Amino acid sequence: MAGKTVSCGLIWDFAVPKSVDESQRWVLATMQRHGQELVTMLWRILGNEQDVCDAYQDTFLQLAHHQGRGKPEHIRAYIFRTANNIAISMLRRRAAERKLSRTIANSRLPGVRFAKGTQNRNPVNSPAQQLDSKYLQETLRYHIAQLPEHLRNVITLRDLAELSYAQVGRILEISAATARVYRCKAIQLLAVWMSKEKEQ
Amino acid sequence: MTSKNRNNKCKRIRAWLLKAVGSALRLADADESSLLGLDANWVQNHIASCPRCQRRLASVGKVNLALSIIKSQPHNLDLLMRANAQAIGVLKHSLREAPKARKLKVARPEPKLLERWRKYAHPATNAAACIAILLLMKAGVFSSMDKFQTQGQEVIKQYYATRAGQDVADELFSA
Repeated sequence: MAGKTVSCGLIWDFAVPKSVDESQRWVLATMQRHGQELVTMLWRILGNEQDVCDAYQDTFLQLAHHQGRGKPEHIRAYIFRTANNIAISMLRRRAAERKLSRTIANSRLPGVRFAKGTQNRNPVNSPAQQLDSKYLQETLRYHIAQLPEHLRNVITLRDLAELSYAQVGRILEISAATARVYRCKAIQLLAVWMSKEKEQ
Repeated sequence: MTSKNRNNKCKRIRAWLLKAVGSALRLADADESSLLGLDANWVQNHIASCPRCQRRLASVGKVNLALSIIKSQPHNLDLLMRANAQAIGVLKHSLREAPKARKLKVARPEPKLLERWRKYAHPATNAAACIAILLLMKAGVFSSMDKFQTQGQEVIKQYYATRAGQDVADELFSA
């Protein structure tokens, strides 16, 4: 009897990893199918290669551990939304860290006085500096991270991942027309924020 | 210019701008702005004298410019490879050792099928146009030949009818 139990146990031990392996093959298939567009989107949101790798890793880790290691129903929508959320969290964290380090640097220079409203800001004055590509990119990324979620998702998927409105709608479970309206609102909001940035 | 008229123009320009934003057109593109009517004289004159429209156009243009810059920044060719390797590294052992995983670790970005075939689009269009012209010419030539044959027969029948009589002509051409 005991021998039988042992043999059953051994069979069970060998059977489990194989079945899990088979059932999780779709993670690699997803990586192969959508990896490239995901990396492109993450690169455009984050603009830093190490951050892209980290966000990509987190996305697939979450996918592999999705609800008892099961396959999500809409896998493309799942990975795009997850990657998007992770990237935006990273952007926000980065902005907060930068703000903190600037505050610390300012507090360490007691002799230096800043004009009202210029603290914690980049010293951008001339038009040449305002059109500086790095500054523009960082400002836009910062403002995209501040957008409300529904507008932000449309902007990142439509403009940064370059998906069609129909695809964006399918991923976010909204109609293509709604996605179009959200994008319009997002651009208007970004335009207002970026022009305010210029004035300050 | 009355203020009402001015406001109407502002409204029309704003509507165009929203249309441009909605359809993701580039305002800097001459063709696309002319498509929207933004290069019309009255629009240009109005924008030159209306600070509100100037601000609106400039701010939307700035967002468009920033988006274009972000999209045009290239990343290293091995980024996909590195990202795949890092992501595979945290998956479980059986997946890490799968042949597909090994392939993914050396994957490089490839252009999409449409982009790959885009360079052949122009020659393919030319070839298709040539084939279409040839087919049309062939169809035209054959139909002309048929027409020519029937007309020729008519003329000869007429000739026989006048020279040898209608009966003979009918007998000859009915066979």
